[in-house]
Amino acid sequence: MPNFSRRVVLMQMGAAGLAALAPGSALAQNRYAELDGQPWSFIDADEARFLASMADVLIPEDDAPSASQAGVVDFIDLQLAGPYGQGAGLFLEGPFEDGAPQQGWQTAHTPASLIRNGIARLESGETHLVDLDAQEREEFVTRLSEGDGFDLGDVPVQTLFDEIWALVKEGYFSDPIYGGNKDYAGWRMVGFPGAHAYYTDHVDKNAPFRAPPRGIAHQPGTGRPADTTRVLSERNTRAIQEEG
Amino acid sequence: MVTELPKKDVVIVGAGWTGLAAAKELADAGQSCVVIERGDWRHDASNFGAPEEHDELKYARRKEHMIDTPIKTLSFRNNSDQTALPMRRLGSFLPGKGLGGAGIHWNGQLWRPLPSDLEMRSHYTERYGESILDGMNIQDWGMTYDELEPHLDFFDRVCGTSGVAGNLNGETQEGGNPFEGPRSADYPNPPMKASPPLQMFRDTAEQMGYNPFQMPSANVTQAYENAYGAQLHPCTYCGFCERFGCGYYAKADPIICIYDVVKDHENFELRMNSQVLRVEKSADGKIATGVTYIDENGREVFQPADTVCLNAYALWNVHLMLVSGLGTPYDPATGEGTVGRNYAYQTIAAASVFFDENVWSNPFMGAGALGMTIDDFNGDNFDHTDLGFVGGGYISANQTNGRPINYQPTPPDTPSWGAEWKQAVRESYLHHVGIVCHGSSVAVPGNYLDLDPTYKDAYGQPLLRMTFDFPENDRKMSAYVLSKAEEIARNMDHVRAVGTTNRAAEGESYSVVPYQTTHNTGGAVIGSDPATSVVNRYGQMWDHHNVFVFGACLFPQNLGYNPTGPLMGLAYWTLDHMKNDYLQNPRPLMDA
Repeated sequence: MPNFSRRVVLMQMGAAGLAALAPGSALAQNRYAELDGQPWSFIDADEARFLASMADVLIPEDDAPSASQAGVVDFIDLQLAGPYGQGAGLFLEGPFEDGAPQQGWQTAHTPASLIRNGIARLESGETHLVDLDAQEREEFVTRLSEGDGFDLGDVPVQTLFDEIWALVKEGYFSDPIYGGNKDYAGWRMVGFPGAHAYYTDHVDKNAPFRAPPRGIAHQPGTGRPADTTRVLSERNTRAIQEEG
Repeated sequence: MVTELPKKDVVIVGAGWTGLAAAKELADAGQSCVVIERGDWRHDASNFGAPEEHDELKYARRKEHMIDTPIKTLSFRNNSDQTALPMRRLGSFLPGKGLGGAGIHWNGQLWRPLPSDLEMRSHYTERYGESILDGMNIQDWGMTYDELEPHLDFFDRVCGTSGVAGNLNGETQEGGNPFEGPRSADYPNPPMKASPPLQMFRDTAEQMGYNPFQMPSANVTQAYENAYGAQLHPCTYCGFCERFGCGYYAKADPIICIYDVVKDHENFELRMNSQVLRVEKSADGKIATGVTYIDENGREVFQPADTVCLNAYALWNVHLMLVSGLGTPYDPATGEGTVGRNYAYQTIAAASVFFDENVWSNPFMGAGALGMTIDDFNGDNFDHTDLGFVGGGYISANQTNGRPINYQPTPPDTPSWGAEWKQAVRESYLHHVGIVCHGSSVAVPGNYLDLDPTYKDAYGQPLLRMTFDFPENDRKMSAYVLSKAEEIARNMDHVRAVGTTNRAAEGESYSVVPYQTTHNTGGAVIGSDPATSVVNRYGQMWDHHNVFVFGACLFPQNLGYNPTGPLMGLAYWTLDHMKNDYLQNPRPLMDA
C-alpha cells in the first residue's frame, strides 16, 4: 500500500485534533514521519485516532511534546501486536469471575482484545472521541478514569483505562527502540540520561548532571537514537515519489 | 512411561542462591549433586550487559526475568470467606526463573536478623508478658544469633558486602547500626557513596537523636575476591539493579559468586528447563526417594537420590510439599498441621520527599542497596509498652532507581494525569527521594497457604492458594513507623512537600496488584516443636529426615529486614549440619 500514511490518518483528527489542543507547534513536532508509510501492525485508523485523542489528553503538549507527538500511538500499535498484547504475561485459564480489585486482572481478554473491544464499544455511537473539542475530550477521559456511566459488556472499564494509561506512559518513557519516546522526548522532559550509565564520580555530588540522553541504540555523535525503521521508511518514501 | 535415571547422592530443586550454595558445599563434601531448574541457562557476562540490559520496558515492565504466570502462578484471596482467583499477572511480588533465580534481580540489601528476632516469642514474653502476643503465631526460630553468626558472616564474604559495622565482637562502632548483633568480623568492603538526599537524611536523623548508617549492600564498592575465589567489581551506580541482572559483576548474585566456582566440579550437574512435579516417597512414606520432573524434551523422568533439597522460591517450596504429600497440611479450622501455616509478607509504607531546586537527587544514579537507614524503630529496638503492637521496621532513604516509566513522583494532590501531572513530574523528577518503612509481618492463624480447589497450572497441578491480609498488629506498627519517617522527612532542609503511602493503612486490604516486595515468607517454618514447624532447627523435615528445606519459607514470621541475608545464614547453617553430621549417619537430627 504505497499511499498509506499514518500522518494522514492522524491528521484526520479535524479542527479539534492535535493542533487544536495546543496551538502552534503540533504539526512541526509530529514525528509520525519516521514510521509513516508503514501500515499499522495491529490497530486500524479509527483505533489510531481514538488512541491519539485519548493519549493527548493524558499527556498533552506543552513545552514538551504530547504523547502522540512522541510516538505513543506507534508504540501502542507495536505492543498490541507483540507478545504483551497477545497475552504472554497473563494466566488466562478459566473459570473467570469478576473478583475484588485486590485480585487484579480477571478478564479473559488479552490486552489487545481488551483495548480493541473497549474502543469498539466506546466508539459505537455517532460521535467519536476525535470529533469532540478539547474540553469535551478531557471530560470523556475523566469519566472513563472514574469508570463513570459506561457499560462495556465484558470489558471492565477501570481495567481498560488503567491499561491504556500504562501504555501511554510506557510509550512516552521507554527506550526509543520500541517506537515511542521519539528523539528522547520523555527522557529530555524529566532529565533522564538513558541506558549508558556510569555515575560513580557524580553520585555524591549535589549538582545537575547535564549529559544528553542516550538510548540502547543511540547513534554516537548525532544526539539521536538510531531509528530502526528509518531505512524502511525512506525506501517507502522513494517508492511513493517514484510512483507519483 | 517414566524414565528412571541413575541415582545421585543429592537432588536439588532450584538453581538460585540456596540451591547453588547447597550444590557447592555438598559437591565439595563428596556428594554427587544434580540441580534441577525450570528456567533457562544465562550468565552475567553473556546476558546482562549494558546497554541492552538497561531496558526498563523489557525487564521492569514486561518482567522478562520473572516467573511466567501462564506456567506458574497462584490464586489469591484476602480471607477464607472469599473465592480465591488466580494472580493472572505479576504485581505485588516477582519470583524469578532461570539460573540464579530471584538472586539475579534482587537489590542486594543484605541484612542480618536481630538476636531478639530469632527468639521472638521468648524475648517478648520475657520483656512484656505473653499476652502481648495474643492472637498471633509468633515463634522462636530454634537457633540463636550466636549459632547463626558464623554462617551470616560467611555469606557476607560470598557477597563482598559493603557497610559499616555497628557491633564488632560486642564493641559498638561509630557510624554503624548500634542495634545489630555482634559481628565476628568487619564488613568485607567499605560502604557505598551517599547521594545528596541520603546525606541530608543522615544529618537530620542524627539531629533528631537517631542512629543513621549506610545500608549494608551487596553492590560491592571495590574489586573483591569472594570466599570461593570468585571476582567481583565495583558498582557504577547505574540505577538498573532491582528487576535487572548486573553485567558489571558488581551486584553479588548466585551465578558469579557460586555457579562459576562449582560449574566444572566433578560432583556437579545442572539440568535446565526442567520442571519438578513432585517429591516421591518410599512405600512407608518415611523418606523421600527422589523427584519426578518434566525434562527439557518434555519427558517425565524420575531422578532417585539419597537426599532431597528443596531450594525453590519460598512459595514454590510450599507448593511442592503440598502436591507431594510431604508433611501435614495446615488446617485453619483446627489450627493443626504445619505445611502452609505462618505465611507472612512484608509491611511496606513510605514517605515521599519533594525538594526545592537546591537539592539534586539525580534519581537515575542509584544502586539496589544505596540507602541511609535508621534501625531505631525495628524489631524490639524501642519500647513496645502500650503501643498495641509488636515488631517494627527500618526506615531508609533509598535511591535505587530513577527509571522514568516507573518513577514519576508527584506531590500530594497532583492530578493523576493531564497537564498538571506532566508539569509536576517534570518539576519533581530530579529533586525527590523516597523514605521506605520496611516493616515486619507477624504470622496469624488466618494467613496461610494451601492448594486451590479449582485452578490448575500448565502441568495440571492445583495452584497454590494464598489467603492473606495485613494483620491488625502490622497496621498499627506500620502507621507508627511511618509517622516517624514522615517526621524525619519534614525536618529535612529544602523540602517543599511530603507525601505518604501505606499499603497496610486501616481499611485497605492487601492487593496483589501494586508491586510491594518479593519477600514472601513462611509456610514451611523452622523450629524446635513439630506441632508448629515443618522442619527442625537444622532445616530437616520432621516427617522425612532426608528432605532438607531452604529459603524464606522457613521464617516463622517475617523480619523487618530483607530476607536474603537471614535465609542464606540459615542455608549455610543447614549445610554445615548436613556435611558434618547428617551425611555420615543419615537420621532425624532431633527427636520429634
